[in-house]
Amino acid sequence: MKCMFRRPIKEVNAEFIAEEKYLDSLQRTVRETCVSAGLSRRDVTAVLLAIEEGATNIIRHAYLYEKGTIRLRVVVYKKLIVFSLIDAGRSFQPEGAGRVDLERLVESGRKGGLGFYMIQKIMDSVEYISAAGFNELRMIKRIAPARPESRPFLRRLFTLRVKFSFWTFLSVLVIIGGAYYYIDRRTSQYLYDHLDDTVSSLAQTIAAQAALYAINRRSDVEFDELIVSYLQSNPELQLIVLSDSSGLILAHSEDIHNIRKPYKIPTFVSTAELGVPQRYRVNGRQYSYLMTPIRAGEVEIGLVHVGYSSAQIHDKLTRARWRIAVLTLVLLFFGIIGIYFLSNYFVRPIVNITRRVRRFASGDLETELPLEGAEEFFEISRAFNEMMTRLSRDRKNIVAREKMAKEIEVASQIQKTLLPLELPSVPDLELDAYYRAAATVGGDLYDVFAISPERYCITVADVSGKGVPASLVMSMLRTVIQIQSANAVSAKETLIKVNDYFQKNIPPGMFITVMLVIYESARREINFVSAGHNPMLLYKADIGEVVKINPAGMPLGMPTTLGPAFEERLEEVQFTMEEGDAFFIFTDGITEAANREGQQYGIDRLINLFVAEMARSARLEISSLSKAIISELDDFSGFVKPADDITFIVARSQLPKSAAGMDLSPDSEEREIETKSVKNVGPEPTETN
Amino acid sequence: MENISISLSESDQDKVSEVRVDGVIDTTTAGELEEVIDSLLKRDRFRVVLDLAGVDYISSAGWGIFISHIKEVRANDGDIKLANMINNVYEIYELLEFDKVLKVYGSVDAAREDFPATSGHQSKKKASRSRN
Repeated sequence: MKCMFRRPIKEVNAEFIAEEKYLDSLQRTVRETCVSAGLSRRDVTAVLLAIEEGATNIIRHAYLYEKGTIRLRVVVYKKLIVFSLIDAGRSFQPEGAGRVDLERLVESGRKGGLGFYMIQKIMDSVEYISAAGFNELRMIKRIAPARPESRPFLRRLFTLRVKFSFWTFLSVLVIIGGAYYYIDRRTSQYLYDHLDDTVSSLAQTIAAQAALYAINRRSDVEFDELIVSYLQSNPELQLIVLSDSSGLILAHSEDIHNIRKPYKIPTFVSTAELGVPQRYRVNGRQYSYLMTPIRAGEVEIGLVHVGYSSAQIHDKLTRARWRIAVLTLVLLFFGIIGIYFLSNYFVRPIVNITRRVRRFASGDLETELPLEGAEEFFEISRAFNEMMTRLSRDRKNIVAREKMAKEIEVASQIQKTLLPLELPSVPDLELDAYYRAAATVGGDLYDVFAISPERYCITVADVSGKGVPASLVMSMLRTVIQIQSANAVSAKETLIKVNDYFQKNIPPGMFITVMLVIYESARREINFVSAGHNPMLLYKADIGEVVKINPAGMPLGMPTTLGPAFEERLEEVQFTMEEGDAFFIFTDGITEAANREGQQYGIDRLINLFVAEMARSARLEISSLSKAIISELDDFSGFVKPADDITFIVARSQLPKSAAGMDLSPDSEEREIETKSVKNVGPEPTETN
Repeated sequence: MENISISLSESDQDKVSEVRVDGVIDTTTAGELEEVIDSLLKRDRFRVVLDLAGVDYISSAGWGIFISHIKEVRANDGDIKLANMINNVYEIYELLEFDKVLKVYGSVDAAREDFPATSGHQSKKKASRSRN
């Protein structure tokens, strides 16, 4: 194939699972490529059919319905498209591989081979190549111009160029025709007048001579000779007759024997009009008749009758007209060819623009129209370029946005696996955890799990950064904490081991803040460390106040070269929970939640709320506190989207059940007052460091 | 995914069975149509008119049904006539030169009328003879 050596315009490669339900997406790929290559609608339908046949053959016969893939390669050249369906199945030479004949198919009454027959009919060339474990069905389809089909022949004929040439031709023709008509009328009128004048003076000459002859009594024969000689020397003259005053013929140019006989003036001639040519028609030819008196002195002694024809002039004029018409047409013809080619010059930029726009349409988003040519095209090109730039930019944006959405989806999938499905029940400790992802996925984590029969690990952490990398680090952290805290007693020792791991394995520039609490259930003992994390809020039920505890500690993953080592800085805090005491650990998503004015929620508001809610909900479920915090946060930030994840765990040392029941009905008023007083105390919490 | 619906109406007067198909006749749906045609031929009903007005696409599996049965049907004085093809389908029909084998009609009635007017009884007799 000669064309095969040309550079391909486009190549599409795709792989599909060899199952009938994937035929659709395979065909969609083929359809898109064919349409953008400019294949006509009819051919696209046919090609899709052929591709379906080829692919069905592979599924059924090459793979025998077993697992496999079909590789599709479509290479678009300027004038043809090469489709390849490649499989790694059984080599399946289609039935009647040479040429399938429809009549034989009908005769056989079987269906096998029909598919291949169809492929052969639809495609311009089909090859089946089997080598190195792969089979390739290669089909070639020529690209017949798609346009003609969609528009009627006459419409297509009237391209801009043809229209332009046609109208130019028409207007030139009207101008030339008008001018010609005017000139022709003037010229022929002049010629006819001239003829009349000539004949009239001739008749007068004859009359003068005749008068002389009559006076001199010359013979009739001489008269006759005279008029015949006139007739011969003037071809336009047809008849000259001299008659005397009594109407007898004196001389006749046609027949000498008429002499002395009365002359019959033609009926259509009026004898009254002497000296004026009178016109009449015989057999469609124009004749003129002129009578001039013969005078001897003042006496009219006879008439000169002259019959003449303008036919000769007419013939000459006609011949001249024809010559001019032919010449004009020939000139016009060449003129129009010239105009047609000249209009090419004007139309070329449009053709260029069309080609570029089509390239853009077929996916080459970087195409730009050259800014050249006449002002009008310059403007069109610029407008197109603007449109194309915007389109391709939008497309890139969409791609980027889709990529981001995909990443968020992946990250939130990972994050879901990070959080415990349900919290374990811890003796004498009411627990509630809350997590809400921000629009973009952050790296928050919480976890509660048993590390030994009477010890539990409660942790909240926040990774710097967002997206998939943060989620992956978080997942790593959860695992490492769970491993390192097994059977641990001290929170500090556990976190040091966790840090050892992270210092070696965390991606540079990333760090994690962790709050790690170990709760010993028998003695209600808390022992916790904070690796650069937000403080713990501890509610003391006996005094109704909140203590903010913020032990020293550096985030995990900080380079050790800066300042003291991690374990030296890490400070462990221990205390015992009394009945009704509660602690609250959280990430900065709460304190840094902003409202419309840009104010942050802040720790003071949080402490106030915590105190108030703990006092109010002493006899309620701990989850009511979570709800209160969330609704207050939502009220605060209004419609502002949270920038960060919100995570917290609240744990309350359980009230003895009897006490809870006892306290139900009385002094609820007193509690109300207590709450108020607590609120006043709230803003200045005791700080322990 | 893509579906097919077939409705059959048989007339005892001119012995013509009219099969109205809607949808797509491809690998996945051709079996259903073939069952209907097979059941007709088993009952010696060889005069079949297919109303294809509602068919958007016919793959080789579909054409195969017509091509593979036409010889048997004609041998029994019957025919498979196609009516009301949409343009897309007709173009393929023409391209694949099926016009040499199968006849198309602009309407079901035109297809019906093209069957020779023989008494149903006679043709049935003939049919059973040649099948044996």
